[in-house]
Amino acid sequence: MYQYSPEDTKFLVERVDQFEKQLKRHLDGDLDAAKFRSLRLRNGLYMELHAHMLRVAIPYGTLNTIQLRALADVADKYDRGFGHFTTRQNIQYNWIELSEIANLLRELSSVGLHAIQTSGKATRNITADPLSGLTEGEIADARPYCELIRRWLNLHPEFSWLPGKFKIAINGAKLDETALRVHDLGLRLIRNKEGELGFTVYVGGGLGAAAMVAAETASFVPVEDILSYLESAMRIYNLKGRRDHLKKLRIKFLVRELGAKEYSRLVDEDWKQTRDDPELKLNLTHLSELEKDFALPIKPLALDGFVDKVDFNYSIWKKNNVRAHKVSGHSIVNISLTKLGEAPGDATSEQMRILADLADQYSYSELRTTKRQTIVFPYVRKDQVFDLWQSLEKYGLASPHQGTLAQIVACPGGDYCDLAKAGSIPIATRVQQRFDDMDKLLDIGDLNINISGCENSCAHHHVADIGLLGMQKNGEEYYQITVAGETLHKTVIGKKLGPSVSGDNVVDAVEDIVNVYLDNREEEEKFTEVFKRIGIKPFKEKVYE
Amino acid sequence: MSESNELTAASATLGAKVAESRPLDTSVLNKDNESIELFSVEQWIENVDEVSKLGVGVIVKPADDVQLLKDTLNDVALIALDFNNFDDGRGYSQAYLLSKRWKYAGEIIGINAHLDQLQFMLRSGVTSYKLLEGYEGFDELDYSNGFSICYQAAANNSGLKKKF
Ligand code: SF4
Repeated sequence: MYQYSPEDTKFLVERVDQFEKQLKRHLDGDLDAAKFRSLRLRNGLYMELHAHMLRVAIPYGTLNTIQLRALADVADKYDRGFGHFTTRQNIQYNWIELSEIANLLRELSSVGLHAIQTSGKATRNITADPLSGLTEGEIADARPYCELIRRWLNLHPEFSWLPGKFKIAINGAKLDETALRVHDLGLRLIRNKEGELGFTVYVGGGLGAAAMVAAETASFVPVEDILSYLESAMRIYNLKGRRDHLKKLRIKFLVRELGAKEYSRLVDEDWKQTRDDPELKLNLTHLSELEKDFALPIKPLALDGFVDKVDFNYSIWKKNNVRAHKVSGHSIVNISLTKLGEAPGDATSEQMRILADLADQYSYSELRTTKRQTIVFPYVRKDQVFDLWQSLEKYGLASPHQGTLAQIVACPGGDYCDLAKAGSIPIATRVQQRFDDMDKLLDIGDLNINISGCENSCAHHHVADIGLLGMQKNGEEYYQITVAGETLHKTVIGKKLGPSVSGDNVVDAVEDIVNVYLDNREEEEKFTEVFKRIGIKPFKEKVYE
Repeated sequence: MSESNELTAASATLGAKVAESRPLDTSVLNKDNESIELFSVEQWIENVDEVSKLGVGVIVKPADDVQLLKDTLNDVALIALDFNNFDDGRGYSQAYLLSKRWKYAGEIIGINAHLDQLQFMLRSGVTSYKLLEGYEGFDELDYSNGFSICYQAAANNSGLKKKF
């Protein structure tokens, strides 16, 4: 697996040294709170009323077990024994002492982890398909590109003080597990007619109050030219993006105001002047080194005559959590850390160490993190899946609900987040209680319910089959329902069903929607397919009848 | 926890409005300690025929369009980029365009500069700087030259190991 060189590690330490000096100036009264805020956010540090939160990047969602154990140690030593895996391949700690932050970061740097640009108005951690390299039909593993672009953006002198935060995702697989087109900038690996590798570029997507699907600004940018293209795309944003209006900082507003065509024209005009600059060509030597580092550690296995165990619970779990691997004889295993009713993504240090041990045993010491806040074991031998499941069972990590409707993505909401307008987790729990029959859950199949407690949309409710957005109406909690959002095959923002529904009625509404789906489903049709065929009306009628 | 935003997001941007209403600097000391009169971009464009040979400098605010200077760049004695607003990063792109793209040969001075921004300013093409008050007594090298390596092409990467 890819590891930082000593010079990269030195850079991480230099960054910590500088931040430590800035922190000291702040504590000594020589650096005011507003400036320090801009600096500390770029080092992943949030200062909340009662505690400090640190967000550590997990670049492209890939971790080795040494790193995971280091994250567990940090949880014990500097936090309260917990970490939270986020929707964007980061991990957050909620109880960090300012006086310990530099030591914490130095410890992480020794295993190639950092918190650089995990927050603030800068380019954030670049996310990738958590199944990069693993699935059939993939154009290319996105991670070497993620790493090259991540590096290139490290303290970029021109683009570290952007109008707003800037999130990039890269996907090389057939299905889009990254939600590419709801990012500020999305890159999709493609091959042109001549068979050359390049990217389709999408700019200006985003969730939140003005949810938008990113516009395609370039259909094919050759791999070697991607940095110069990105430079131009970001330069136009840096120079022209709105800085005067707090709610319009993101690039989606610039793209909308200029129009995608005009924005693309400006980018192209700038790009013309740098495209041939040899210093901006992607370094193909570095790329091929990285491709070697990210190469899969497994070879095809002929498991002649292998018959998997038959066990009711195992079969249910397997159906929902084990996916086909492109390398024969192997499987991809998805693991959820949380039980029903808990905030998704929470992990104890003990769980992290258990996962590290299991990954050493079953998955070549590598793990991936996903936007559903789960963990993936990328390289499990088919004849060891049952053994792995037994171990997971033992540690309470193999709930059969995973991969069903009951595995709801909910933000911390009213219970934990100061910005919330309404609760998320209590609604998730009530939905789970309503759908507590395993047969029914299996019948429904994979149907996503995502719940955000406010317009910041941390739970990505716009792109779920059923999305709930918490709001306040006359001092009471209400929920705006959206349906049929998706990202996997193409990106669609969910449609608003109608007027928002009170907290008392929202679970009934969810059940109604699910029932309309079941009543109209033909064969194996997914929720979005039924929706496309029958339209919004039957759902509306049922919910508001 | 999924990813949330920080509550106090408003504070930094409010500062921006205040900063825009400051009176502009009307002169600056160049690297040879000579006082150079500064014109705004608009003043420069309007009066370029009369003043182009008089050794006048131009002050560029973040919101100014540097493209307007492109054709008369060689007549400008010095360019002062205003970095007063801590969070406004337009100056870095302006410095890049002036220095790397249009090869402006004169002094590009970052004025009203902040200690913590030196590394970004200098690598983007700023050639000298004048810090705001309040940064005395700190080692500027920690901020202008705190790193050993750089990961991207820039107007100025001198002294850094290049990895890109
Ligand atoms: S969506 Fe709103 S309530 Fe939920 S975590 Fe994000 S900011 Fe908090």
